[in-house]
Amino acid sequence: MNDIKAKLTEHIKANFPGAAEKDFKGENRIDFSIDKEFIPSVLTYLKNTAGFIHLSHITCVDWLEEGEFEMIFIIWSPTDKLKVFIRTRIDREKAVMPNIDMIWRQANTYEREFREMFGIQFIGLKGAKDFLLEDWEGPPPMRRDFDTAAYAKDAFFERPGREDALDVREEIIKRSREEIPGFAKKYSR
Amino acid sequence: MREKATTLYLGPQHPGITGNMMIRLKVEGDTIVKATTEVGYLHRAFEKLQEQRNWLQSFTLMCRFCVPETDPMEESYARAVEAIEGREVPERAKYIRVMVLELARLASFMLWYGGQNGSLGLYTMGQWSVGDRNYILDLFEELTGGRVYHMYIWPGGVRRDLPKGFEKRVIKVLNYLEKRLDDYDDLMFDNAIFKKRTQGVGLVDKKTAIEHGVVGAVLRGCGIKSDIRIDDPYEIYDQLDFEVPTAEGGDIWARALVRRQEARQSIRIIRQVIDQMPGGAFYNQIPNPLKWTLPKGDAYVRTESVRGEIGLYLVSDGGNKPRRVHLRGAAYVHAVSLLEDVLIGENVADVSAIMNSLGTCPPEIER
Repeated sequence: MNDIKAKLTEHIKANFPGAAEKDFKGENRIDFSIDKEFIPSVLTYLKNTAGFIHLSHITCVDWLEEGEFEMIFIIWSPTDKLKVFIRTRIDREKAVMPNIDMIWRQANTYEREFREMFGIQFIGLKGAKDFLLEDWEGPPPMRRDFDTAAYAKDAFFERPGREDALDVREEIIKRSREEIPGFAKKYSR
Repeated sequence: MREKATTLYLGPQHPGITGNMMIRLKVEGDTIVKATTEVGYLHRAFEKLQEQRNWLQSFTLMCRFCVPETDPMEESYARAVEAIEGREVPERAKYIRVMVLELARLASFMLWYGGQNGSLGLYTMGQWSVGDRNYILDLFEELTGGRVYHMYIWPGGVRRDLPKGFEKRVIKVLNYLEKRLDDYDDLMFDNAIFKKRTQGVGLVDKKTAIEHGVVGAVLRGCGIKSDIRIDDPYEIYDQLDFEVPTAEGGDIWARALVRRQEARQSIRIIRQVIDQMPGGAFYNQIPNPLKWTLPKGDAYVRTESVRGEIGLYLVSDGGNKPRRVHLRGAAYVHAVSLLEDVLIGENVADVSAIMNSLGTCPPEIER
């Protein structure tokens, strides 16, 4: 396992400038951070040459405080039993990524979802704009700064006759005359 | 003469006994020339909600991702949290987890038997298998309090120990089901209609399977031996003796043959787990859930469900809530890009059977 990791690290560092690795010792996992421009070529190399034929997952994490999205491609080699994480960071305001659905067809589904839910544009991506949502014109809802509760308050109205149940906690205090502990108020909604 | 193309809307009301989704079909006569999956009817934003719940509250949403088989999601979440936190799990809990996972697989197979046959108009099987599934749900009810949603496998172990005599009752159900599986074979695999409707239908070849990231029985039905329980073992699967069945052909029939064997392998696994079940603790207690924080880090764990590999990516930023929860169910790839490709050239009457065979589960796509 360590030999395979070492070979992979050597090849990726030699061919993709700026690549950095993080080895999870004792686990069948190794992470590489790579510039987004190299993503299609590194994935093509891993799939066609290194035996990582299975695209297990693509995910996106919104690092709002740092103004960046992190895209992570998790691929698996059935022969070497090794997981490789390819990570890249992109600017949150100009979120553009290269498209990889010509490498794995299934990536198209992920990319359509990220376009809709995070507002990330994939160059040359085909497929209907609406995936999970319908006629959505608001900000991409999976972004951290999208406030679900505020949206629900604006978009929907309270059901008539439920005015006294709007704040369950307050109602419990009123009826039972018991004070709710401070930590419970702080940690639960 | 070329026939005029017509557009048909299949669904969104349970088009393949699978859950709510729609497929827009362009047909010439009754042959499909284009298929477009349209999802969104079950979108409940679980992943977004989980970012606003603490680690334990978030766990209670995990089982909702796919109704027919809820335990792999719970187990994935528990294992991902434990990986980030470095929390040890007692040996007994691992055995109980595997027993529950395999019972869940069996229950899910029973639903598949019903759905697969029902989609071809063979309703007797559904009456039998869904009825027999209730014996497994009775066991779940006794163990967890819930029949479908269990919230039983949680971070640190399992929620409660096995009730007295539970193992005996499991064995009794397994003995019964083993006999019933033979009856199922007679009804399903010796049935000329089932053979005729499934052989050569819904073809997935090896190349397409890799292109689409196909997993589980669909992959094994193309002759590729792949199972997360063997390839990337978790809990105590590496200590168990079981086989990974494969079949050639890549059609509905081949996938049915694989699942038929897998149900028997699940029984074999549960018997071993019960024989080897160690004593001791079943839970490594977590701190006060309201004040529970996890260190910074991420984890990606995979579990083998009846539909195939389930992947869960979990990120902690050091706080008391998940930074990101992202589930990849088998249906996410099977029921969108793969289904759209497989349906081309098929007959309209076979769409439901193909959907069922590919393990379509819409809530897994929409989350």
